[in-house]
Amino acid sequence: MSPILVYLATLVVYFFIYNIFGFGLNIQFGYAGILDFAFITFMAVGGYLYGAAALPHETPGSQIYYVLGLSWSFPLALLLGILGAGAVGALVGLIALKRLRSDYLAIVTLASGTLIYGVIGNFTRLFDGWEGLMGVPQPFTGALNLNANTFVLFFVLVSGVIMAILWFFANRLYRSPLGRAMRAVREDIDVAEAYGKNAFKLRMTAMVIGCIYAGIGGALTIAFITALAPAGWSTGETFVIWALLLIGGRGNNLGAVVGSFLVAVLFTEATRYLPAIGGNPNLIPDLRNIVIGVLLIVTLRFRPQGLVPEPKTNFFAVPLTSRVLRRVRHEEVVGA
Amino acid sequence: MSILWLSLGFGLVTASILALSSVGLSLQFGVTNYINFAYGAFLSLGMLLTWTLTRPLHLPFWLGAALTIPICGLVAVVVDRVVLEPFVRRGGNLLYLLIVTFGLSLILDNIMQAAWGVGFFRFAVGQGADLHLGPFQFTVAQLVIIGVAAAVMVGVHLLLTRTRLGKAMRAMSDNPALARVSGIDTKRVTMSTWFLSGCLAGAAGIALALNIVSFQTTSGDDLLFVVFAAVILGGIGQTYGAMLGALVIGVVTEVSAVYVGSAYKSDVAFLILVVVLLVRPQGLIPALGKA
Repeated sequence: MSPILVYLATLVVYFFIYNIFGFGLNIQFGYAGILDFAFITFMAVGGYLYGAAALPHETPGSQIYYVLGLSWSFPLALLLGILGAGAVGALVGLIALKRLRSDYLAIVTLASGTLIYGVIGNFTRLFDGWEGLMGVPQPFTGALNLNANTFVLFFVLVSGVIMAILWFFANRLYRSPLGRAMRAVREDIDVAEAYGKNAFKLRMTAMVIGCIYAGIGGALTIAFITALAPAGWSTGETFVIWALLLIGGRGNNLGAVVGSFLVAVLFTEATRYLPAIGGNPNLIPDLRNIVIGVLLIVTLRFRPQGLVPEPKTNFFAVPLTSRVLRRVRHEEVVGA
Repeated sequence: MSILWLSLGFGLVTASILALSSVGLSLQFGVTNYINFAYGAFLSLGMLLTWTLTRPLHLPFWLGAALTIPICGLVAVVVDRVVLEPFVRRGGNLLYLLIVTFGLSLILDNIMQAAWGVGFFRFAVGQGADLHLGPFQFTVAQLVIIGVAAAVMVGVHLLLTRTRLGKAMRAMSDNPALARVSGIDTKRVTMSTWFLSGCLAGAAGIALALNIVSFQTTSGDDLLFVVFAAVILGGIGQTYGAMLGALVIGVVTEVSAVYVGSAYKSDVAFLILVVVLLVRPQGLIPALGKA
C-alpha cells in the first residue's frame, strides 16, 4: 500500500479525533458558556485510563510503572476512559460551577489542569510519570489480522463511526429542550434562573458531557498512536482546541469541523515538515503556537462569530404541530 | 521546633514574592474588572530581561533589575492598548476577554521560549551569606526580597490614599461609569494601572528568580495559580486583601511543606483556593458587587 495513502488516512483519523474535541468544547462553551481552560486534561484522563486498562499487567523489574494493566478489549477500556473523564469533569465542575463568575470558573479549571498535570507527572506509579504510557496494544489487530498499514485504514472507519455518532448526538442535544436551556444560561444566567432553570445543574450536565467527549477523543488518540505522555497534553494543546472552535464558529458543530480541519489538520500538518530554523528544533512549534494565538485573537476581534456562525434562532420557525396553533400563530404574526 | 521557625521564615519570603505579584494582579483587576491570564508571562519576562541585561550584557544586577521593571510596565501598557482595549471598547461578553488573555499568555510564553530557549537560567548574583536573626535564618537575597516587598506595599498604600492617581484608581474600581462622569480621565488611569501592574509583575519575577535561583521561561506561569489563590483568598480586586492573602498563602504553603513535603506546596495553595471558593467566595475582605 502506498505510504501517501497511509499518511492521508492518518490525517483523516486526526481530523476525526479533533472533531470530537471540537464538539466536546462546543457543548461546554458554545452551548453552556463554560470557560474550560483544562479541556485537554479530560482528554488525558480518558486516554490514560484507556491505555492502562488495555495494556497487559506491568512487568516487574521493567522500570515501567502503571496501574491497572488489565488487557481489556477496546469497548471495555473505552468505557472506563469515558467514566473516568466524566467523573473528573464532575469533580472539577463541582468546585468551579458553584460560583456564577466566569473568571472563577476559568481559574479553577486552569488550576485543576495544572494540578492534575503535576500529579500525573510526579506520581510515577500512576501512568509512568513524565515518560508516559507506551506500547498500548492497537485494538482489533489480532482479531482482524491487520498489519500496521491496514490498521490505519481500519481505524479511519472506527474513529469515523464514533465521530459521526457523537456529531449526531451533539446536534440532537443542541435542538433539544435541554440544549435550549443551556443556551439560555449561556446568554443570561440570571434570566435563565429567574425562569426556573437550574443553572448549576445545566452547566454541570454540559461540563460532564463535554468531558466525556474529551475522554472518548483521548481514548481514540492513545489507541491509535499507542502512547501518551504529559508533553502531549500541555496547556498549549487546550489552546489549539479553543482556537479551532472559535475560528470555526462556536455554537455550531459544523464550525467545529471546519475549524478542526483548518487549524488542527491543515495548519499543524503543513508546518510539521518545515526544516528547523537555525538549528533550533523548538522554533517552528513555538512560531506555530504564536500564529495560532494571533489567529484566534484576530478572529475574536474581527469575526467573533467564527467562519461558520451559529444560526440565529428564529422563534416563529419553531414547528407547532397543531393545526389550530399554526393558524393562531399566523394570525398573531401577520395580523390577518 | 527550629525547622518550623525556618519554614516560617521561608514563608515570609514566599509571601513577599506573592504580595508583589498579587497586588499587581489585583490592582489591574480592580480597575478593569477582568482577570489577566497572561500575568504569569510578565513574571517570566521580568526574570529573563534581568538575566539578559546582567549576564550577556554585563550590567550590574541592581541596574539590570531597575531597567527591567519599567520595561515590563511598558510592555503591559502596549499589550493593553493594542490587544485588550479594542475588546474592552466593544463591550459585550467578559468571556471573550478572558479567552484573549489566555491566548495572550500562550503567545507571550512562546515568544519568550523562541527568544530565550528552553534551558535553565540563573543570575550572576547568588543568594549571599546565611544570616541568623533570632530563630530565623535568611540569605541576604531573601532579606532584600522581604525589604523590597515591604517598601513596595507601603508605596502602594501611599499611592492609593495620598495621590490623585490612586484615588482615581479606587474610584474606577468602585464604579467606572460614575468615575468617568466625575471627570476622571479613565483612559489615562487604565494605562497607568497597566503600567503599575506590569512593573509589579516584573519585580515579582525578579524576586521569584532570586529565591528559586534557577529558572526557565515557564517559571512565572508555575506561580500563577498560587497568585490567583492569594488574590481570591484576599477578596478579588481588593489591594489590601491581596496583601493579606499573599501573607496567608505564603506562610501556610511553606509551613505545610514541613509536613506534606515540598513537592506538594502548590497543591496546598490549590486546596486553600477550593475551600475559599466553596466556603467564602467573596474572600477575606469582600469587594461590593464583585463576587
